Amino acid sequence: MKKNLIKNLSVTLLCLAVSTALSFLFFHLGNKHSVNIALFYILALIIIALNTDGYIYGITASFFCVAAVNTFFTYPFFKMDFTLDGYPVTFLGMLTIAIITCTITTMLKQQKTTLDEREKKLAEAEKERIRANLLRAVSHDLRTPLTSIIGSSASYMEDYENLTESERLELLSNINEDANWLLNIVENLLTVTRIHNNSGKVKKSPEVVEEVVSEAIARTRKRCPELMISVKMPEAPLTIPMDATLIEQVLINLLENAFVHSHSREPIELIIENYEDKVSFTIRDYGIGIDKSQLPFIFTGTYHDNRGDSYRGRGIGLSICHTIITAHSGTISAGNHENGAEFTFILFKEKGDE
Amino acid sequence: MYKFTVLIIEDEKNIQTFMNKILKKHEYKILCADSGKEGLSLVRSQCPDIILLDLGLPDMDGSTIIETVRTWSSIPIIVISARSTEREKVAALDLGADDYITKPFGTSELLARIRTSLRHSNRLLTNDSLYIRPYQCGGLILDFSKRLLSIDGKEVHLTPIEYKIVAFLAQNSGKVMTYATILSSIWGPFADDDNKILRVNMANIRRKLESDAAQPKYIFTEVGVGYRMKEDEYEAPGNIPAE
Repeated sequence: MKKNLIKNLSVTLLCLAVSTALSFLFFHLGNKHSVNIALFYILALIIIALNTDGYIYGITASFFCVAAVNTFFTYPFFKMDFTLDGYPVTFLGMLTIAIITCTITTMLKQQKTTLDEREKKLAEAEKERIRANLLRAVSHDLRTPLTSIIGSSASYMEDYENLTESERLELLSNINEDANWLLNIVENLLTVTRIHNNSGKVKKSPEVVEEVVSEAIARTRKRCPELMISVKMPEAPLTIPMDATLIEQVLINLLENAFVHSHSREPIELIIENYEDKVSFTIRDYGIGIDKSQLPFIFTGTYHDNRGDSYRGRGIGLSICHTIITAHSGTISAGNHENGAEFTFILFKEKGDE
Repeated sequence: MYKFTVLIIEDEKNIQTFMNKILKKHEYKILCADSGKEGLSLVRSQCPDIILLDLGLPDMDGSTIIETVRTWSSIPIIVISARSTEREKVAALDLGADDYITKPFGTSELLARIRTSLRHSNRLLTNDSLYIRPYQCGGLILDFSKRLLSIDGKEVHLTPIEYKIVAFLAQNSGKVMTYATILSSIWGPFADDDNKILRVNMANIRRKLESDAAQPKYIFTEVGVGYRMKEDEYEAPGNIPAE
């Protein structure tokens, strides 16, 4: 508040001083028309009204202007004289200009703040919507494997004697598989809690790309032992600021997606390219590609492939990738190439817009 | 036959049961504790050969247990922790834990970690230094007496610092070594906390040792924690290698 006061006062005083100085200069150069001088002051008034808050500065300044014109630049000089012809007109004119300008600018400023607030509210609503979507997707994705686990284990316990050895094994392996899937979801969700704490940004530290990549590959291979990957990256070691755990999760999700959803056993390609200000990671598979009609929704958490992938959809995984990369101020995109699907994400070397 | 005694300090009953079953099947003798207090008193009275410690105990911080045990014993301690907490892991390791295993873990992983830790502690007790025998894993052979590293019979040239790092990791093969541990053992106790110099050296080593830096065969990164060199195969020809 105090800072504003100082700013307003200094703007007002500066403008008045400058216009007075200019007027004197003009006056001494031989132009004795007070109309021209008044123009300087009007200009100063407008500038003051534009750059200060509220009406008070503009109105005070207009009083000063009228007085100054009257005292300095009209006969008799250096004396107040309110008996001059047309004087009230000048005075009223200046006052009106000051008030009108002040009103307009104040209105503009008020409008701007309302707009800002509305935008903020919209952003918050958007955030809330994303969270709600994520929750909905999560609870759906959690309920399905849980149903299967509860059902399988219950029928194992109830029907133990009647089941053949292979049936028992089948039930157990179903439980195991679904539990692993649950773990996958939970790990993904855990990573998101690292982001949403305060500002929606992540804590970055410089990380060696190949170390993060190698751990991601090792982790993915734990779950999908037959995974084949060929990695192409620049010879020189690369370091970029990131939250390594999160980027690892993105890589794991994308690699696992490529492995599970491509319906192909061709080796997956991971291509890392180094640019001046950014590094791009491309995961390319040689499978069935992505359903074109679903491409716009692929990162929203509502993606469901209609071609036979049941609940093991790419749903949460991809929306979490999107959340993570956005929190890094990077970009992620999905698309098809000639023989399959391709995901690319970009991380910037500078700290971005933080 | 003498059985190794494993002490499990874990408050989650189901996990305790599951580890208990697996380890019993593999000829270990099991002790269980539900709380830190009980665990400590069992360590004092039973002197187990190895401790599996869950960090999230109800009554005390797991790191207190590590500190307490380390004041009088070098029993190997394997920390069991949840994934998203690297800092906790590093703190536990730097306090003196031997290794960690991340929840959820598979049976083979658990058994491999236990074997590795037991072997390292045995080596200490019997004075059977790894310095005498070379480290060997796949095509990689590291001869400590000649200070020579070769891959598939071909000599690999390392700078003195690089050699020191590889040798240190090889002597502790199978166990994760934190950045701080490596830094202080290579550059001395007053080394800078910044692990950049270590990472640069590791990147160079990787280029000399691994054919594909993104899919290493010998030295693995544990992001945020440290590095782990693959278990020495030379001294345990019959065992299944870790992971």
